[in-house]
Amino acid sequence: MNLLLVGVNHRTAPVEVRERLNFPESRLASAVADLVRREGILEGLLVSTCNRVEVVSSAAEGIDAEPLLRQFLADYHRCDLSPYESYFYWYRQQEAVRHLFRVAASLDSMLVGEPQILGQMKRAYAVAREAGALNGLLNEVATQAFAVARKVRRETAIGTAAVSVPYAAVELAKKIFGTLAGKTIFVIGAGKMSELAAKHLLSSGASAIFVSNRTYDRAVELAQAFHGTAIRFEQLLDYVSKADIVISSTGAPHFVIQKPQVEKMLAARKNRPMFFVDIAVPRDIDPTVNELDNAFVYDIDDLEQVVDANQKQRQREAVYAEEIVQQEVQKMMRRLASREVVPTIVALEERLNRIRESEVERHRGRLSNLTPEQRQALDALTRGIVNKILHGPITELKSGAGRPEHGTLVQLIRRIFGVGD
Amino acid sequence: MHSVLLWIAVVFYACGILLTVPSVIRRRPTLAPATLAALGLGLLLHAAALGVEAAAIHRLPVTDVRSALSFFSFLATLAFFFVYLRYRITALGLFMLPLVFVLSLISAFRPERPFANPAFRGGWLLTHIASIFLGYTAFFLTFVAAIMYLFQERELKSKRPRAFYYRLPSLEVCDALYSRSLVIGLPFLSLGILTGFVWASRMWKGPWELDPKILASLVTWLVYLVLFSTRLSGAWRGRRSAYLAIFGFIAMMVTFLGVSLLSGQHGYIPQLGSLP
Repeated sequence: MNLLLVGVNHRTAPVEVRERLNFPESRLASAVADLVRREGILEGLLVSTCNRVEVVSSAAEGIDAEPLLRQFLADYHRCDLSPYESYFYWYRQQEAVRHLFRVAASLDSMLVGEPQILGQMKRAYAVAREAGALNGLLNEVATQAFAVARKVRRETAIGTAAVSVPYAAVELAKKIFGTLAGKTIFVIGAGKMSELAAKHLLSSGASAIFVSNRTYDRAVELAQAFHGTAIRFEQLLDYVSKADIVISSTGAPHFVIQKPQVEKMLAARKNRPMFFVDIAVPRDIDPTVNELDNAFVYDIDDLEQVVDANQKQRQREAVYAEEIVQQEVQKMMRRLASREVVPTIVALEERLNRIRESEVERHRGRLSNLTPEQRQALDALTRGIVNKILHGPITELKSGAGRPEHGTLVQLIRRIFGVGD
Repeated sequence: MHSVLLWIAVVFYACGILLTVPSVIRRRPTLAPATLAALGLGLLLHAAALGVEAAAIHRLPVTDVRSALSFFSFLATLAFFFVYLRYRITALGLFMLPLVFVLSLISAFRPERPFANPAFRGGWLLTHIASIFLGYTAFFLTFVAAIMYLFQERELKSKRPRAFYYRLPSLEVCDALYSRSLVIGLPFLSLGILTGFVWASRMWKGPWELDPKILASLVTWLVYLVLFSTRLSGAWRGRRSAYLAIFGFIAMMVTFLGVSLLSGQHGYIPQLGSLP
């Protein structure tokens, strides 16, 4: 195995450096094709996003791919790489595998657990595959990286807890209502924040929406955008009880919704729960409404608190995710290593057995008077010699897997024993 | 024979409960297969134990406190599987199974009483016992749902997500489990009480209506009737309903177990009272 990865990311390089080294989507295919055309490079993958640029290559055994990758980057970006050298990180063999797995699982992202990176990597993979740049070891590592990413998302909660205020509102709504399907939203005060929250809720499954605003036209505008119904501000309280989720962000200096009003709403709804998201400052909804059974009121501070708690959760989940990645890296390395050495071991055995057989054949004349038992003993003797000679090299081949000098070791053994490539 | 089976079942239940813990702590969306396997094996062995007992005495094996506990914990574990497979609540086991485990442990410990009473026969009695126990199982689910609801609701009200927020299902799921188990439980309990009355009026002389167990079961039935109707109409929903469900469950357990030791005719102690 001869994997090499070089890259920069949001941690090692500022945006000016990253944008200088960036590969635009339109030229990605030709870039990766150019990479694998270079002598010694067998496979290549280019990942270029706003937060990272990475070049991965699988080279022939014994080749040092570092100068080749440097040359590739310098050629492509038509510049001298020396000012950027300090921003690069280099990963080889097992470390390269580990890095790829971590990136795909979003563990190397700015926001750990974010879902975009996997899609970005898959697109990069598709481009490289189409350009014929992925057909062996690197292809296998990349596909396994995607599988590991899926496993991490499945077995940890790394990507599930909401870490932004609008998503926190959606998450809380789901904690109350289970599913948002069939639920109704009421937006009071058609501002940017409430629009965003409503959009999130609608895309998460909520089905109906009412909009009310002091200026009726603005309410109509927003309602139309969401295929909902506009309600005149004066008639607000007549319709709020139809909603399960109320998002409020008016500029009113007093409470728009008060406790006795909510009591009536709940009674009208046969006590089906109501969730109030109060993003207004000063607050629109009397906080004592939260004391009512089946009513839940969250203001902007409360939502931030949820986001905070979720971030801590994500960090805890990231620890589990790292464990999974570590296990998967080791599994992959073992699999690759044993696969690599098998043809060499087989070739070695074949070679030495051929020598054995031809020598026995050569001396057949002098051994023609042997009894069957003696012939058997001779057979066993020669086989024993071959096996004992092979034992050393085979053990070294099997146990050295994953070590950096292993590739050289394999080459050496093949050369010493005269086993062709 | 069947007590050996029961003991092994109890051991498997214990393993299953212990295996639930890491899945809950780590917020896994589902239980590990090993957990379900352990519990499933326990359930099968428990069923076998009950089957062996039933074959030996040619009746439903609910003849004394011990066998009643065993039968109830079997039904409760069976209910656990149904509910888990339907709702996939990872933490469900932590709420349901410890009580089940304790009851089956008590059942395994109590000495077997050689069964001598010919009275436990007949279709009415069988229906009575089966209905009552199915009702009890359903109400146990109601209780579990109420507890989960209360924990989750408290965290949502406090605005501070802590351990339960992440590991308990939504209020909606808790409420669905709650109301569905109520809807199943009340008819069964009613049927059980009715068939019990029919059977008792045929078999017993004297003021059997004043037997403590029968009185207690009527109180329990009333509590659940109130729960059922207030939840259905929506008059009570959420916290208030959940508190009443807990009270109802306590009443149920008192009826089930507490009174058995005091009841004259109805107890599992045949020598008190005048059963034919």
